[in-house]
Amino acid sequence: MTEPGSIVEIEIPAGVPAAPPGSTEQRRSHGPWYLWVISLLIVCVIAVPVTSLALRLLDATDAAWQSLLSWQTVRLMVRTLVFTALVTASATAVGVSGAWLLARTDLRFRRAWGVAFALPLVIPSYVIALVLISASGPRGLVADITGVDLPHLVGFPGAWLALTLSTYPYVFLITAAALQRVDPALEEAARGLGASPARVFRTVVLPQLRPAMGAGALLAALYTLSDFGAVSLMRFDVFTRVIYAQYSGRIDRSPAIVLSIVLVAAALIVIWAEQRTRGDGTLFSRKPARPPSVYRLTPWQRAAGTTFLAATVAAGLVLPVAVLSAWLLRGLTSGIDVTIPFDAIAGSLTGASLAAIVAVAASVPIVVLAVRYPTGASNALERAVYVMFSLPHITVAIAVVAFTVRYARPVYQSLLVLVLVYAAMFLAQATGPAKASLLQIDPALDDASRGLGRSHLATMARITVPLMSKGLLAGGLLVFVTALKELPATLLLRPSGFTTLAVRIWSSADELLYTQAAASALVLIAVSVVPVYYLSIKPKDVVGV
Amino acid sequence: MTTAISLSDVTVSFNGTTALDRFDLDVPSGALTAVVGPSGCGKTTALRAIAGFQTITTGTITLNGQLVATETTNTPPERRGVGMVFQEFALFPHISVAENVGYGVRGADRVDRVRRTLRLVGLEGYEDRFPHELSGGEQQRVALARALAPGPDVVLLDEPFSNLDAPQRERMRRELRRIIHSVGVTAVLVTHDQAEALAVGDRIAVMSEGRVVQSGTPVEVYARPVSPWVARFLGEAMILDGVAEGGAIDTGIGVVPTSLADGASAKVMVRPEWVRPTVVDHGVGKIVDREFYGHDQRVAIRLDDGTSIDALLPGSIDVALGERVDVEIDDAIVYFTNDTAGAR
Amino acid sequence: MRRLLVAGAVLALAATACSSSDDRSLTVYSGRSEELIQPLIDRFEEETGISVTVRYAGSADLAATILEEGSSSPADVFLAQDPASLGTVATAELFTPLSEEQRSRVPSRFSDPDGYWLGISGRARVVVYDSTNVDPSELPQTEDGFTDPSWSGRVGIAPTNGSFLAFVSAKILLDGRDATLAWLEGMAENQSPTFPKNSAIVTAVNDGQVDTGLANHYYLLRALAEDPEVPGRNHFFAIATAGSLVMPAGVGILASSERTDEADAFVDFLVDDASQRYFAEETFEYPLVPGVPADDRLPPIETIPTPDLDLSLLATTLDEATDLVAEAGLL
Repeated sequence: MTEPGSIVEIEIPAGVPAAPPGSTEQRRSHGPWYLWVISLLIVCVIAVPVTSLALRLLDATDAAWQSLLSWQTVRLMVRTLVFTALVTASATAVGVSGAWLLARTDLRFRRAWGVAFALPLVIPSYVIALVLISASGPRGLVADITGVDLPHLVGFPGAWLALTLSTYPYVFLITAAALQRVDPALEEAARGLGASPARVFRTVVLPQLRPAMGAGALLAALYTLSDFGAVSLMRFDVFTRVIYAQYSGRIDRSPAIVLSIVLVAAALIVIWAEQRTRGDGTLFSRKPARPPSVYRLTPWQRAAGTTFLAATVAAGLVLPVAVLSAWLLRGLTSGIDVTIPFDAIAGSLTGASLAAIVAVAASVPIVVLAVRYPTGASNALERAVYVMFSLPHITVAIAVVAFTVRYARPVYQSLLVLVLVYAAMFLAQATGPAKASLLQIDPALDDASRGLGRSHLATMARITVPLMSKGLLAGGLLVFVTALKELPATLLLRPSGFTTLAVRIWSSADELLYTQAAASALVLIAVSVVPVYYLSIKPKDVVGV
Repeated sequence: MTTAISLSDVTVSFNGTTALDRFDLDVPSGALTAVVGPSGCGKTTALRAIAGFQTITTGTITLNGQLVATETTNTPPERRGVGMVFQEFALFPHISVAENVGYGVRGADRVDRVRRTLRLVGLEGYEDRFPHELSGGEQQRVALARALAPGPDVVLLDEPFSNLDAPQRERMRRELRRIIHSVGVTAVLVTHDQAEALAVGDRIAVMSEGRVVQSGTPVEVYARPVSPWVARFLGEAMILDGVAEGGAIDTGIGVVPTSLADGASAKVMVRPEWVRPTVVDHGVGKIVDREFYGHDQRVAIRLDDGTSIDALLPGSIDVALGERVDVEIDDAIVYFTNDTAGAR
Repeated sequence: MRRLLVAGAVLALAATACSSSDDRSLTVYSGRSEELIQPLIDRFEEETGISVTVRYAGSADLAATILEEGSSSPADVFLAQDPASLGTVATAELFTPLSEEQRSRVPSRFSDPDGYWLGISGRARVVVYDSTNVDPSELPQTEDGFTDPSWSGRVGIAPTNGSFLAFVSAKILLDGRDATLAWLEGMAENQSPTFPKNSAIVTAVNDGQVDTGLANHYYLLRALAEDPEVPGRNHFFAIATAGSLVMPAGVGILASSERTDEADAFVDFLVDDASQRYFAEETFEYPLVPGVPADDRLPPIETIPTPDLDLSLLATTLDEATDLVAEAGLL
């Protein structure tokens, strides 16, 4: 028995905190002011075309509104959406199949196939269309070589093929990256439970790929929706043709602007549809412990896979290069003057690389705000980037011309405006990879740097941006390659005296000067090969769009 | 002993939940204070609030007499002079060990400082390696060196040993104490592991549901926990119900003197090492289990009235299963609440 | 490296913001494509030392641009493919009259009666046909013959193209609105395949996709230059209608221009004999200055039946032309 005095008696206070502290999620501030200042500047640039369009709508003529409300408009709209859906479906099928074959099977020469399979990305869709038209038909190149009478590839089948070939590389690059991140443990678990490889693909792999496929399909759909060159050459009637017709066929520009609104609405429908089908899927920010397992193909599967890859590469890459080379050779042998379009090369490289630099620089504050300081405003900012990406180029260009000629005369027809428009239109391609790379950086690294006495800005410069560099490079290259191909906005917005390869190809072909068109197109392809090579061997850096 | 860090009435709430609830903590300078609590109790939030990564809703935070955070102001982390060691170390993967350690150091003696700090943590010659080339323990040392190199007034460590395996953890604990004390820096370490907190801290603060429920030296807090919850959280504890009668409470295993009025109910806390069984032929209980650890042993005793109690005895005492014992208790803590002690 | 890139970008952007302050320079808006006109402009720069900045775009697009820019247009000279675009700018009183000497170089029927713009080269509307499939004697005398069911699906048209729209504008002036709409509807009923532009029609005829098409005469000659074996041939309508019109490409000087000397020199240059020969030999158009011969595969310009039409009026019916094309369901 102890002494009474040594016993401690303690009163427990009433009203001990009842509720548990709950989530340990860290609330953060809204982010440093300068990120918001830069972001607001970006928003202003993005807002120009949108507000300008709205302003133009206010003083559109009655005739313009009437053109909108015709039965013809409805018919074309339906036709355009159905066409977009079909191209998106085929591009997704081709892109995902190729990605799976090249990322997850033991097919031989996968890296070389991967580069070849991604390369059609660099060929503008109207060049593919031009080449398909020229190569098909009883008098076409294919008939000449094989002796087989092919039908003319025009109208719906031609447009479908041309746009599928132009858009599947987007799906391919994004899906291939996602496939490399799929956790093999899940597949092994499914196999262990007795599922066949096909069932594993359908029930385990495919659902994990949904977000990446959705992102790729979205790019394909938006590209198709706003394409004009390929569909018009294929004489397949969709909405963009009417806008161009109204724009080029009259002095009054308001009918073209009113009709553009319909295309914007269609783009919003596509974005909405993608979000609906995406469901709850999220992109993988977790690194799986092991590289994905390799599926062994049976001999006939190997043959089928190789045939599929070969056919796609033949149509999307070999045929265009062959036809263009044939035109060039034919012209050169018959003594046609061909000039190396140095001014166009310089213009293309200047415009596209400045656009890439500006887009990458702009992507940093946007993704830092969206990832590190997720608030309603920062999410809205990120979404605004996608809305901009979805706008048809001709619409953006018309709006920007109208705005700059009235309210921004000093920069009217300047390279500055063209570069800003490129950057704004393709910003989504830069923010995608940038976001993916930022998601992989432990936020504690930022805190560590801040704790060591570096300001937020210094931390971004020394830690965040260097660690994002691969994603930023991938994003920059995507923007670069896309800006190289851009035509409608370039035609309308370029400074006087400024020309690009895409413009030269278009205008040469327009005048039936195929030799010169071929020379410019081959240069364009050559210029884009290095960036696409890098993107196709480093697909991981592209994911996350 | 002066106060290096003072959090006074700090509340942090977000999304309708409260992570810190009128949180008070004074950290004496030059010592290693361990903040311990179950996961989700808000201890990491407290650490982040001190470092400046977390803004506070109400209250004040003072670092060496400087007010760094209030309801409305928040000195950014880079101007607080606080070094932090992160749970997953957060080493910059793209720069070398030397560059990591020198990251926060400015001035002419940068190279020299990096070398001295690396020597302090025992990583001389590792300057040009990259983080991914290091073992977990080495990464931990680099993280510590990086936090110490700028000469901060305060170092904060967030679960610093959770990413190490058991042998490394033991070694790093001792290393950490040695380094912290040799530098003389004020350190705050956050952990969910009470054994770690008791072993490593000069002082400990026990947290629960967003508040500090008790602080003091490890010995004080272990021996005089302010509530049954703290007692259980920090070590093994038996809680026995009893009623005061005639200045004593009969717990069944012994009678504890009390000042409570007759009829007041109370809880009596007894740690196993306070239980002293003696082998007696007709004792009140029987030894039913024994775990022998070498330096000590745990003996489970079932009393005849059905109560089970544990005793922690030195390894030198030999007891056998089935032996009958009498039980005394050397120490106990009586907990009462205001309403049950109303008769007093 | 990164810093260097950023610095370079800033410099490049800054450089574009300041326009060149060359002493003798000229800004030309050209609705004629770079492929056709740039070699000529290069020669002009070489001969005169005047540096020329050219903005290439569609003629109607540039006309609309000039209207929007108004009196502060950066353009000194507007070079257009068709009289409608020139007429639009003239109607808005944004051109300054050309000198008597310049106007006297070209027959008046190819220029603005008030002297605001001058024709520089002629482009005849023709029927291009596939000589392996079509006997030229079957071809109709005027465009009206193509609405006959026998031509169903066999006549390619480019309803959104500037030349076609100028032709429709002319037809409205010559035959009236109703007759024009009836013709367009007839073409639509006949399932005439539509193409985005003249060049695509000529390519389609050569590839055997379509038997005939309405186009400008020179596209076929260019196709023959690229590949002498193509089967396409030109057919000129025998009766004077809108379909047989020789449409001039032309040039005007903007009233807002402060470089009138250079602009005058440019206009003089375009109608000198050497440039006219260039049009004949390189772009296969009709030179408009008398005495310069056209390509010898073409009928002389005097022999082409020409309807009596004031070309400057085409601008007044251009938007109506687009409306009718749309109303007929061809857009």
